[in-house]
Amino acid sequence: MSPAVIIFIVLALVAVACAVAMLVSKNAVYSALFLVLNFATIGVIYLMLGAPFIAVAQITVYAGAIMVLFLFVIMLLGGENLRLGEPLRGQRLIGLIFGAVLLAEIVLLLIFRSGMDQMVGTLTIDTSPAALGLEMFNKYSLPFEVTSLVLLVAVIGAVILTRVDPIRRPGKPDQDRKDQSGRQA
Amino acid sequence: MTGSFPAAMLLKSLPEISLVILAGLVLLLSLVWKKRPPQALTWITIAGLMLCLLLALLFALPVKGPYLIWGGLLKIDVLSFLFRMIFLTGAALTVLISVERQPSQGQGEYLALLITSVFGMCLMAASADILMLYLAIEITAMPLFILAAFQFRQKKSAEAGLKYFLYGAMTSTVMVFGFSLLFGISGQTGYSAIAAALEPDRLPVSLTAGIFMLVLVGFLFKVSAAPFHFWAPDVYEGAPTPIAGFLSTASKAAGFAALLRILQEVFRASPELRFGLLAAAAVASMLIGNFLALRQKNLKRLLAYSSIAQAGYILVGAAVGTPLGASGAIYYLIAYLVTNLAAFGAVAVVSSNTGSDQIAAFSGLNRRNAALALVLGAALLSLGGVPVFAGFFGKFLVFASAVQAGAVWLAVIGVLNAVVGLYYYLNLLKVMYLDPVPEGSGPLTVVFPWKAALLVCAAGILVLGFIYRPWYHWADLAAQMLLLH
Repeated sequence: MSPAVIIFIVLALVAVACAVAMLVSKNAVYSALFLVLNFATIGVIYLMLGAPFIAVAQITVYAGAIMVLFLFVIMLLGGENLRLGEPLRGQRLIGLIFGAVLLAEIVLLLIFRSGMDQMVGTLTIDTSPAALGLEMFNKYSLPFEVTSLVLLVAVIGAVILTRVDPIRRPGKPDQDRKDQSGRQA
Repeated sequence: MTGSFPAAMLLKSLPEISLVILAGLVLLLSLVWKKRPPQALTWITIAGLMLCLLLALLFALPVKGPYLIWGGLLKIDVLSFLFRMIFLTGAALTVLISVERQPSQGQGEYLALLITSVFGMCLMAASADILMLYLAIEITAMPLFILAAFQFRQKKSAEAGLKYFLYGAMTSTVMVFGFSLLFGISGQTGYSAIAAALEPDRLPVSLTAGIFMLVLVGFLFKVSAAPFHFWAPDVYEGAPTPIAGFLSTASKAAGFAALLRILQEVFRASPELRFGLLAAAAVASMLIGNFLALRQKNLKRLLAYSSIAQAGYILVGAAVGTPLGASGAIYYLIAYLVTNLAAFGAVAVVSSNTGSDQIAAFSGLNRRNAALALVLGAALLSLGGVPVFAGFFGKFLVFASAVQAGAVWLAVIGVLNAVVGLYYYLNLLKVMYLDPVPEGSGPLTVVFPWKAALLVCAAGILVLGFIYRPWYHWADLAAQMLLLH
């Protein structure tokens, strides 16, 4: 067994254990932290597969930015100790069925994997961060800029949809209600 | 060299670049210029949109043969040029209709979001790369989600925004899954490279069919066709009326522009598959749209169901896939733009005067404002496909293309559906012209921007209905270039 395989097995076990721990943990903050660990191990697996850019993006974007946001929301909304109930019934059963189907699919794929190769396209580009950066700012400069615009729109939307009415004098609560149902009468 | 941005390329995308600048300018002015006249931003936006149109005519005319820019991500041809005109015109009319409904607070954001959405639509029509297409669809949809919820103090508007967002996010996820498979089998994102990888000798047809269905989900949502039409009635009803009009015309046209292109340039190796799936979607949309429209009491909901049915008619042209089918679909979209914006404009006028979108609010409209009733009547007849109005040629061309391609049954279903559609459009005319004026309703006030918008729409309906040659010529040119490889 080569060192790479050993490292992979260890990482895989950690990743799966974190994922399970995230699901069964009763405290939402612990769940989020387990997810961070899971993301980090997946990032290392990407690194082993020779995709350093994706690995770093995984750590900075997912494990870093997004999970910090998660933690903020959990703590701000006080969701640390939610009671574990199912808002929609039957989710567990459906989840189990889908899980079984996925497992069967993976097993089938492993058995019949011959013949799949010719359908899969090959990547012709260099995946090193430097080469990716050059691609992103040359060939894909337009999509890059458009993405920034998408984010700007999202920010504007968040500001608009959470704005508060400027005129909200105390003692006149009826005024607001009348505005709300203005056109429906 | 890859790193340079040649001036010719920037010139070709000058309209898009100026749209982004315009959006930023409007946003900035709304913050900085506090003592502006109330409608200043509206007129600046309209002037800016017209300037973009002019820039497109001056610098970005389509050249002979397809012309790829931005490293093959965008294609400048008659299709992208024509649809850019459609989007800019539609946006300008929508801004005019929006005048009174805009709350003075958030007016800048409203206009900036609308302009950003138009920018995305222009990119959608020109995209020749799945990565670019996906981003274009997102930048088109995101502002529209927000605009649908713009009057979020009203429950219905908030509901509209949320529903539109959830449906849009879900369907675009499915579509991106399809895109990822396209990338997986070809290793490329450009349309032509993917098309080469989809040749039947390289890939089993069943797999192509699966991918095609996944990709189609996103487009059927965008054009509000069955079976992904459920959002339309609720969103149209809850969203601000001008935005509902914009969704049903420009946004739908953008979906069709991208769909026509991807059908011809990516899935060209499987015409039976395209015909089978799209014809099924077309028939389902026509039936669902028309028959559910019969029972509606709210005019905006009725127009939503009618817009589902119209998507069905246009899909007939896309399903056939011949030059006539594609040009018919394009002509239909041009006609539908002015027609449906006129209808939604009239609804906006009435509902802002009476506070109601119910059909009952339109009874006796003829005696309260004859000109308004005339415009709405023309729009309804055009939607029904009555000759001398714009809608007639659209329907005629798409049904003719079905007959020409040997799918007579599809044309027969279409014509029968058009008859059902005519029933509820004529019923509305009856309400407007014969029913008594409701008690206590005075004459309707129509402010100048509304008059201008309705006048332009009415003129468009008549011009497109009487003189069809130049418009058909452009639509045909776009279709020919699309099919040319």
